[in-house]
Amino acid sequence: MSSEPGGGLPEQEPSVGSAAARMMLGGQLRRFREAAGITPEAAGWHIRSSRSKISRMENGRVGFKDRDVRDLLSLYGVTDPQVTSAMIALAGQAQTQEWWAQFGDILPSWFEPYLGLEASASRIRSFDLQFVHGLFQTEAYARAVSALGRRGALPDELDRWVAVRMKRQELLAAAKPPRVWSVVDEAALRRPVGGVKVMRAQLRRLAEVAELPTVTLQVVPFRAGGHDAASGSFTILRFSEPDVPDVVYIEQLTGAIYLEKPTATDHYLDIMNRLSAISLSPEQTIPFLSDVSRQLQT
Amino acid sequence: MSTQDVSAGQGSEATAAEPPSFDITRAHPARVYDYWLGGKDNYEADREAAEQFIEVMPSILGGVRANRAFLRRAVQYLAEEAGIRQFLDIGTGLPTAENTHEVAQAIAPESRIVYVDNDPIVLAHARALLTSTPEGATAYVDADARDTGKILEAAAGVLDFTQPIAVMSLLVLQYVPDEDRPDEIVSRLMDAVPSGSYLTLSDTTTDIDTERVTTSTARLNARLGPAQSTLRSRAQIERYFDGLELVEPGIVPMPQWRTVPNTLVIPVFAGMGRKP
Repeated sequence: MSSEPGGGLPEQEPSVGSAAARMMLGGQLRRFREAAGITPEAAGWHIRSSRSKISRMENGRVGFKDRDVRDLLSLYGVTDPQVTSAMIALAGQAQTQEWWAQFGDILPSWFEPYLGLEASASRIRSFDLQFVHGLFQTEAYARAVSALGRRGALPDELDRWVAVRMKRQELLAAAKPPRVWSVVDEAALRRPVGGVKVMRAQLRRLAEVAELPTVTLQVVPFRAGGHDAASGSFTILRFSEPDVPDVVYIEQLTGAIYLEKPTATDHYLDIMNRLSAISLSPEQTIPFLSDVSRQLQT
Repeated sequence: MSTQDVSAGQGSEATAAEPPSFDITRAHPARVYDYWLGGKDNYEADREAAEQFIEVMPSILGGVRANRAFLRRAVQYLAEEAGIRQFLDIGTGLPTAENTHEVAQAIAPESRIVYVDNDPIVLAHARALLTSTPEGATAYVDADARDTGKILEAAAGVLDFTQPIAVMSLLVLQYVPDEDRPDEIVSRLMDAVPSGSYLTLSDTTTDIDTERVTTSTARLNARLGPAQSTLRSRAQIERYFDGLELVEPGIVPMPQWRTVPNTLVIPVFAGMGRKP
């Protein structure tokens, strides 16, 4: 599928995003494999590959070759042509070239899957401790944040990082935007990243996005005392497909963690719920933003 | 802004005693219900309790969907045929598809809805996700169903008590034990609303599929926290409607209320009454 030359918004996927398609296909392949009682090693060998390739496929972390899907299905004894063609169609969807492919030179391999998951999500819940969430950043704020972690970066590299962040934000204006429910720590609002002027504009932007019908913003004020998110910022991505589990994304300095086992994601969902419950309500948050803006020291 | 908290200070105060919903090691009614509906706002203890129930009574999966369908039909009737523009929804639960305000405001955008729940996590979800049309209003009251004084006082800030109000209580009173007099909760609410107001109610019963519902509920109660489910007879459910004129077809098994004939067997009675 190619997008219109010079067109505005990115082309919307007909049904699910490529990341969700990969997760659905991977989950289905795992169920077929387990039902057939075949080990990941044997499956990997069958497609001229390894156990870890099977595991990455089943977790939806990599693309799928049609041939591999066909070979695995026949190994698992799945012969129904309707099932096979549905799985192949899903594999096609999972291969869709996404806009961030053109930024492959700057995007670290651990971050790319996040972009796919974010674009496929139906609900995004985030807790942000240090910085304003990437989906809400102004260009100037994004530039200041990007520069922080990349002391030696060339101006052109920074431009491209900022471009990725701005491109991500088109999600908020998509035809079927995800529901974004974001909890931000008061600390992130008071830290004048890029200077006071940049921060004031950023706070105005936050107030604007909070008015969008698909965005909910809540501040955890200092006066709420200590809270449960001791480990820092994290994001929970939810997908509308019933079979696809929530994914918790935790970014670190040189990598990222993706959690999708319920034993782990339950814990983060609990913390997110507690944070939402102790935060200012969405309605109380808007005036709070302008208070913080006024109090920023020039 | 058309979406609000009606009691001052709600939402920003963490209480010292942890509310039951913060305990994720015990099942919680709203989260178990979410699991049955296919939602993902639930934890291991909820999934386990929900599955234990399903094992005895698989029809629960159709049952919770039937309850949502009943909500939709009832609100459509109230908004379209009865001309109701104000709703007091007791026991909101975790947001799902087609919540009360969405059904009502799709018909009459100016509809005003007050959601009541005593669970901070449910309320956080409601505040974040159940947002009103610009023409209407949604508000959230942090109150226990038993605390009708608090409910009515807070609701008076949003609803006009000189105009008819639809009181909704769907699969909620079963979590109020007999000694807390659920019948008196209903009568206190209905006493406070004017003539032309409505009560819409569904509740689980011992009088349909008795053996299965008793066993499955015992299994569920063993895994729930302090909010336990009490099953009621048809006669007890009928008493909630004392003094009201029943809307056709009266108090019936929930899947039969104003819809096409079907064969669903679900141990829940539902009905709607109008205050004369």
